Amino acid sequence: MRTKLSSFLAGIGLVAVASMPAVAHHAFGGEFDPNKPVLLKGKIITIEWVNPHAWIHLEIPKADGTTECQYTPNAKCEEWMVEGGTPNTLLRRGITKESLAKGTEIVVDGYQTRDHSLSRANGRNVTFPDGRKLFLGSSGTGAPTDGADPADAGRGRGRGRGGL
Amino acid sequence: MHRRLLIALGSVAALSVLGSAQTATKIPRMPDGKPDLQGMYDLAMLTPVERPNGLPAVLTDEQAAKLEKQAIAAQQAGSLPIAGDRSAPPKGGDGSVGPAGNVGGYNSFWIDRGSHYTSVDGQKRSSILIDPPDGRVPSLTPDARQRQASRVALVRLQSEATESTDPGLEAAGAYDDPERRPLGERCILGFGSTSGPPILPNYFYNNLHQIVQTQDSVMILTEMVHDARIVRLNAQHAPPHVRKWLGDSVGHWEGDTLLVETTNFTDKTRFRGATENLKVTERFTRVDANTLEYRFTIDDPKTWDKPWTGEYTWPITHDHLYEYACHEGNYAMGNILRGARLRESEDTKNKSKQQ
Repeated sequence: MRTKLSSFLAGIGLVAVASMPAVAHHAFGGEFDPNKPVLLKGKIITIEWVNPHAWIHLEIPKADGTTECQYTPNAKCEEWMVEGGTPNTLLRRGITKESLAKGTEIVVDGYQTRDHSLSRANGRNVTFPDGRKLFLGSSGTGAPTDGADPADAGRGRGRGRGGL
Repeated sequence: MHRRLLIALGSVAALSVLGSAQTATKIPRMPDGKPDLQGMYDLAMLTPVERPNGLPAVLTDEQAAKLEKQAIAAQQAGSLPIAGDRSAPPKGGDGSVGPAGNVGGYNSFWIDRGSHYTSVDGQKRSSILIDPPDGRVPSLTPDARQRQASRVALVRLQSEATESTDPGLEAAGAYDDPERRPLGERCILGFGSTSGPPILPNYFYNNLHQIVQTQDSVMILTEMVHDARIVRLNAQHAPPHVRKWLGDSVGHWEGDTLLVETTNFTDKTRFRGATENLKVTERFTRVDANTLEYRFTIDDPKTWDKPWTGEYTWPITHDHLYEYACHEGNYAMGNILRGARLRESEDTKNKSKQQ
């Protein structure tokens, strides 16, 4: 009885937290484990271009990997999945799943799912090996323009690029 | 013969009304002379729902330009390269708050927050809310606060889960059942009232809305989460026992403004803690070929002592709206619930060890 009462009071104390407006599709804290940071370096196998979150699949060469690497000859790999945001935003900028070639090397830092048996993580930062962000800083990917690149003229947000 | 005469007279009257309205404003119109609200609108913008402390209701052009510049700079900062040879983020979490949940969310290139302040009647607005005049949502009634407290306490009481000290986790019981998860996460409605009513920007992404109109109905399609709300024109509300996630919307024309009243919400929709008796009144006015003015009034005496009102403009866009299809390939919900089940089994193991 005492436990129930203290639980009840604790519940009331949590109202402020529970009623905070959400500003993303889901809370990441329930999905990923802050005590399991990961750094993943590998090559893109495929991208699941789906809502509510796109998932980038990558293969990471590993001596005890369970599958044959597709993009590193004669090596074993482990497959990881990395969670991103909504693909709609990128589609509107003219970026499609074809924009990023399979086999492209990327570096991801994030946190593994709370279920550690899954090789999945959030894509806290997803970059090329030189640190450039994916989809930005390159004229070929339909990134938002800042006017610095002459090749960007006539392109950019709101105009679309057709051929989607 | 008599009937034909009446129709002819009616047409003349309609044409004269139409003529005077057309001289007043040049807006797109339907064949029957009613304003044509149809189009694709992009609601992404910087004007928040409530007015931030210290800002006037109407921003000067200089103030708006400065704030817009800051927002663009912040967006560009998120695009800058980082170290390619970085290490993994810190153990114990990166300290990020809110939905980023101490694990940092994801890159800003997925996000489209908008880059302008809304302009209504030529005024750059610092908040969507215009009434109360302070631009803030009135405080909840004691009844509403009690309802919220009881709901959370009930979940807690019904749950066997133990409270966690992990700052990324919600209260114990929040992950017990998929139906405990928020409606947005469950792919039922958009978060932040994107689906409405009232329709609000979510200040994150996917802010497109499409209006399709006939003589009898107006359909509002919301990109996130793929909701189509049908407003029946000149119709009666559904009977009280019929409850809908988006409520039951009926509308009629008042001059060139479409007035829509929505009631019959479910007791789970709960816009900002409202009851199922919430009444939302919306006014849609096409002010020119590229702009629709949207105004709404919220009325639910059991939640707020008095009604409150907001307004902002919807600019036409030539962008495409894409299907949201939230369930397909949705690993997130499974990952969240699986994580909670594992925590439960670990708790059980720990308890049995202690005994």
